[in-house]
Amino acid sequence: MIQRASNIFMIGWEYPPHNSGGLGVACEGMTQSLADLNTNIYFTLPYHLQMQASHMQVLECSDPAWFADGQTGAPPFSAYAAAVQSKPFATKELSVESLSVLPSSELENKVDKYANLVTNAGQKIAKVDLIHAHDWMSFPAALKLSQKIRKPFIAHIHSTELDRIPNGSGSQYIMNTEYEGMMHATRVVAVSYYTKNILVEKYGINPEKIDVVHNGIMPLGLSQDLQIPEPSFAAKRPVVVFMGRLTMQKGAEYFLALASQVLKQIPEALFIVAGDGDMYHELLFKTADKHLSASVLFSGFVRDTQRARLLNRADVFVMPSLSEPFGLVALEAAQRKTPVIVSKNAGVSEVMPSSISLDFWDIEKMTAEIVKLVGKPKYSSQVVSSQLSDLELASWETAARKLRTIYNKTFMGT
Amino acid sequence: MPQVCLYLQLHQPWRLGTFSIFDLGSESSYFEDTTQHNKEIFRKVAKKSYLPMLTLLEKLLKAEPRFTFTLSLSGVFVDQALAFEPEVIEILKRLVKTGRVELLAETYYHSLAALYSPEEFEAQVKKQLKLMKELFDYTPRVFRNTELIYSNQVAELVSKMGFAGMLTEAVDRYLGGRPKTRVYYSYPATQSAPLPLLLKHAQLSDDVAFRFSDRNWDWYPLTVERYLEWVEVYGEDEIINLFMDFETFGEHQWEDTGIFEFWAEFVHRFSQKPWNTFVTPTQVFEAINLETSAKATQQISDTDRYNVPDPISWADVDRDLTAWRGNQLQLDTLEKIYALEEQLYKLKDKKILENWRRLQTSDHFYYMCTKWSADGDVHAYFSPYSSPYEAYRRFSVVLADLQGKINESALSRP
Repeated sequence: MIQRASNIFMIGWEYPPHNSGGLGVACEGMTQSLADLNTNIYFTLPYHLQMQASHMQVLECSDPAWFADGQTGAPPFSAYAAAVQSKPFATKELSVESLSVLPSSELENKVDKYANLVTNAGQKIAKVDLIHAHDWMSFPAALKLSQKIRKPFIAHIHSTELDRIPNGSGSQYIMNTEYEGMMHATRVVAVSYYTKNILVEKYGINPEKIDVVHNGIMPLGLSQDLQIPEPSFAAKRPVVVFMGRLTMQKGAEYFLALASQVLKQIPEALFIVAGDGDMYHELLFKTADKHLSASVLFSGFVRDTQRARLLNRADVFVMPSLSEPFGLVALEAAQRKTPVIVSKNAGVSEVMPSSISLDFWDIEKMTAEIVKLVGKPKYSSQVVSSQLSDLELASWETAARKLRTIYNKTFMGT
Repeated sequence: MPQVCLYLQLHQPWRLGTFSIFDLGSESSYFEDTTQHNKEIFRKVAKKSYLPMLTLLEKLLKAEPRFTFTLSLSGVFVDQALAFEPEVIEILKRLVKTGRVELLAETYYHSLAALYSPEEFEAQVKKQLKLMKELFDYTPRVFRNTELIYSNQVAELVSKMGFAGMLTEAVDRYLGGRPKTRVYYSYPATQSAPLPLLLKHAQLSDDVAFRFSDRNWDWYPLTVERYLEWVEVYGEDEIINLFMDFETFGEHQWEDTGIFEFWAEFVHRFSQKPWNTFVTPTQVFEAINLETSAKATQQISDTDRYNVPDPISWADVDRDLTAWRGNQLQLDTLEKIYALEEQLYKLKDKKILENWRRLQTSDHFYYMCTKWSADGDVHAYFSPYSSPYEAYRRFSVVLADLQGKINESALSRP
């Protein structure tokens, strides 16, 4: 009888509804589809999840000290906010030596503490076949637990510090944690070939060790759309939407440059920036500097119904990321029948070849596409329907089946 | 032995409500939402300041036959008083009826129109004059501009409208070493008659308005004796212009600081000495006119002129316009709002016009101020928003909606 890995100890960081980005959404879709394939999942979180998930067992691994401010329903820090900005790298090539830094900051202490709590929780579980860890925050925990219970671990890369801080001045500690995690993992899963390439080229990980599992997207439930009020907002103006963290990585600045150009041809167009992040104030000033007040509007971070309304309403969705391992939100936009323009540096175009893929800096071409999409409804609906056919293949079920194969392979030690 | 000219400003802006991007194109109000914050704030301030202070002033008029003072009411203040606390208007009517309370002219919307559009400025002043006439059967003869904003150019506008004089701030960089207790004339009135000016005595005004309850102030607690000493060093032909926000009494300085008692006692004791007098701007300017017309020629020397090439105001340490026009967020939104003028005049849509004008109220731009230092605290104290960025963000959304409505309206016309 073939042995199957059915008991998965998954180390998470965030989960809807209290997710700040794509990781939580990906974990939700992934675990649900894995559960449908009879996978028994233990899922750790560094905070208390208010709503219980029925398809898996959620383990809260948190320290009360993290929530001294009373906010207990979210991760103790934003793992992707570029909280640590250390000195820029002296060399372009990463070497083990340059990455050997000791954890010192508060951030690092929290990650260490999480590792201990997760290890304790994991040791109490009678049957664990393997450990599946999501991004750097969970790698120290995976490493520790894997050594304690002598089970293999999979490092799943949703994004790297090199994506998040494209100018190379990211945290050495985080990059080191990513590197150590991948080096010690039995297998590595990347969310795209784009990301796999970064792992091989920049982190020096053996390509043989890396499998690519693209994210999927959950089908729209009927109930989700019934809640969306009609008629929609700004019905008479073209609406172009950016949705993402306001960080250098996501290229919001290019979105402003794009707005300036498009407005020359479509003066009544509205550009909506949805998201929050460390560049927020800077972007407001840049908007005013470029005389874009009242044409570029900021909504702040949106979720649930508002998020759906915005993606539904958008005439064009633009993702001008400098580096985007996947870009799940582009699939959501496509699902909501919005034509999508994505950066060439994004994994999502691998599963959605019908989206319009351009260089994030090529404002001229992006402008031309937006003008065409807004001005030619026929062209727009062609793009929309091709994107929808792409989506049929981009399911979480596909992703879960691939993961099951990787689990078995890892479990068998092949 | 001096003359004391007390002028108190009554103003409340229509603060923005929670109008969001999802309200774009809808009929939702810009200024009111379910929280009814404008009503709440008005009633709170009425209870703490307007009602008790107006009642006190009424009593003082009865008790002291030589007491007289000046008020200026923005139209948006009157609108809110009528809607939220009509008792305030009733007391004001009684006060004006005594014939011992002077009312000033100003822009209905407490706007910066003087700096952007002579036409809009004049329209707003006329609208406020009409309101004063209808409500109080009173025709103001003296003008005060929003936040005492003044320049040679503003004086020109005011003079052309035929006002007898104007109030502004005494700013050292323009006054030089000259006393602020005299009447000055505008400079150089190219076409219009020179406008007589009264300049605020910042020190004695702010002793009451700002420092009264400051425990770190050398003179805390301020006694009536001491304040009288400071006032009475001036000669009988000198005018001490005490210009303050009305809310100084009861709102900026709470009742428990003893501000009401302080003021009542000051009025009583100042009035006891027959050589002390209370005056209003019109009284001062009329006396001047008699004098000057007696002269053969109306030669006004440069030492009598107040030459202000760059606009001044009564705000912050610098007494300039940086509280409203200090950063790009403010400059761009101001530019955008006044750029709509021409279209609006053509449109003749009362509702859109009213909204546009309410958005011109200076407070909206004051809330966007990002100046550091102690001034920043004053700005934060008065702002209904969590930050200047939030003020800008919300204003920008509302402005986008207004632009949309103007365009739609223009298109639907033959």
